[in-house]
Amino acid sequence: MHVDLKKEVTHSSPGRFGIAAFAVIVLLALFAPLLAGYDPIAQSVHSFLAPSWSHPLGTNHVGQDIWGQLVYGARTSLLVGISVGLLSTLLAAIVGTSAALIGGVYDSIVMRVVDALIVIPIIIVLILVAAYLRPNMWTIIVLLSLLGWQGGARIVRAQALSLKEELHVAAARSFGAGTRYLMRRHIVPDLGPILLVEFVYTMRRAVFMEAGLAFIGISDPNLMSWGVIMREAMEYSYLNVWAWWLLPAGIALSLLIVSITFIGHSMEPVMDPRLRGEASA
Amino acid sequence: MRMLSKRNALTYAIALLLILSLNFILPRLMPGDPLMTIYGREALVQMSPQLQAELVHRFSLDQTLWQQLGAYFAALFRGDLGYSYYYNAPVFQVILGRLPWTLLLVGLSLALSTVLGVVLGIESGWRRGTRTDRSMLAGLMALNGFPDFFVGIVLLLVFGVILGVLPLAGAMTPYSGLSGGALVLDVLKHLALPVTSLTLAHLASGYLLTRNTMITVLKEPYMLTARAKGLSQRLLKYRHAGRNSMLPVVTMTGIWLGRLVTGTLFVEIVFSFPGLGYLTYEALLFRDYAVIQGVLLLVAVLVLAANFLVDLSYSRLDPRVSYAR
Repeated sequence: MHVDLKKEVTHSSPGRFGIAAFAVIVLLALFAPLLAGYDPIAQSVHSFLAPSWSHPLGTNHVGQDIWGQLVYGARTSLLVGISVGLLSTLLAAIVGTSAALIGGVYDSIVMRVVDALIVIPIIIVLILVAAYLRPNMWTIIVLLSLLGWQGGARIVRAQALSLKEELHVAAARSFGAGTRYLMRRHIVPDLGPILLVEFVYTMRRAVFMEAGLAFIGISDPNLMSWGVIMREAMEYSYLNVWAWWLLPAGIALSLLIVSITFIGHSMEPVMDPRLRGEASA
Repeated sequence: MRMLSKRNALTYAIALLLILSLNFILPRLMPGDPLMTIYGREALVQMSPQLQAELVHRFSLDQTLWQQLGAYFAALFRGDLGYSYYYNAPVFQVILGRLPWTLLLVGLSLALSTVLGVVLGIESGWRRGTRTDRSMLAGLMALNGFPDFFVGIVLLLVFGVILGVLPLAGAMTPYSGLSGGALVLDVLKHLALPVTSLTLAHLASGYLLTRNTMITVLKEPYMLTARAKGLSQRLLKYRHAGRNSMLPVVTMTGIWLGRLVTGTLFVEIVFSFPGLGYLTYEALLFRDYAVIQGVLLLVAVLVLAANFLVDLSYSRLDPRVSYAR
């Protein structure tokens, strides 16, 4: 796996677009308190205000500043996306490499569980668990991670299996290297690019799921989320307020997911070098 | 083929076991009276004492955990998924009433998005590296990024609210007394927006997969042979390259067939479309736990069935699969 990931991404125009859009959203999230101007939770008597200088996107049904909600929503999306991406990728790496290196009964049991998790309808499981637990942000992150590593584990295992047969690994093994040493020194570092692609795609799914769950009412009541904004705005779709209430949150969410998709796709030649040259437009 | 089915049987068994234990254990882990944790406080208020007593008896809720487990499986074998307090009917019956709507929605959008995705993928892969290919790729990937419920919301705003040409919610006009052709037209009108949202949202995955395979297939020696034989563009593109690019799409369609039942969830909620997804949403709102558990189990069984069918069709499409295993 000797691929320059940075070059793959920056040499494709969707890749560059993805990085730029993602950076803008990260900046919004980082400087949310400076940009918002108002406390996004604070209610006021000025409900349904149209956009103005003091409220760039107007106010909602309980007089909250919509622009403030939007920039704080970026924090939630990114925090959930990045945390779930890291946790799931870590799980996928541990399960995938250990299955490949240990093999035997362990491998077949673990992979059957992975297959089973792949066919289970994740979102209904989440709804069922959420209905019982009434979760906060951390439980949502943990749940999404526990239910989001299985696809990655399969990819990692396949890659680790082929790495295992490489000459330098075989050489290390013949010098008496143990499984743990092999994992740490040879397999995991060489898996780097694949893990990064896996991280990007898990993050994308987590951002979508967080917003979707919030949209149907499963969210941390103390946090702003783009899904919550869209849910609240949907109830007033008959008023002419959706243009500055509903659309900005939906567009922000779509922009974030599109940017992550573009970054991920421009990395794909790493996974399948046959696509290089032709796929990276 | 025998190897394959044995392996899959194990996978299916593990998946079912996971879901059954989730359904059985989760409510019983919660503190409090089992009847209350299984059905929820809201439900108990509305249930008659007779119904409560009957449920306790039917699921052995006053017995030990082992006896409860036995009663749980015995009930499952009878097709008894519990009782929905909100609809005041057995869960199984409630779900069966909603299933046809979801199947209709899933079937139509899956067929449309697969056919469109494959055709676009073949055309785009054929022209790989050209301007057309690049703009199609960027455009469809961008489309892929739009969450299905936001696509639905935008369509709803444009066609339902601003233009007012299509209905905002439901699957048919209530109490209209329509029949025959008028009824079919009414249902199709209600289906138009949800089907379009789902098709747009899932178009890209079929397209990307076909395009990728197409690019690899075009380099195969048999393509050169076919070209040398002087076959027409259309034959080359669809009969030779296209057909061979379809295999992964079939796998994916099977996976989606299962996943679309959950994929329709958000779109059904946006359009208040009375399928399984909207049912799950209502159950979440009213804390009708038994219904969520029933949907989870039933959808899982459907997904497993879909996977099984894909395995079967896979060996039909590619004879090598059945020889090799």
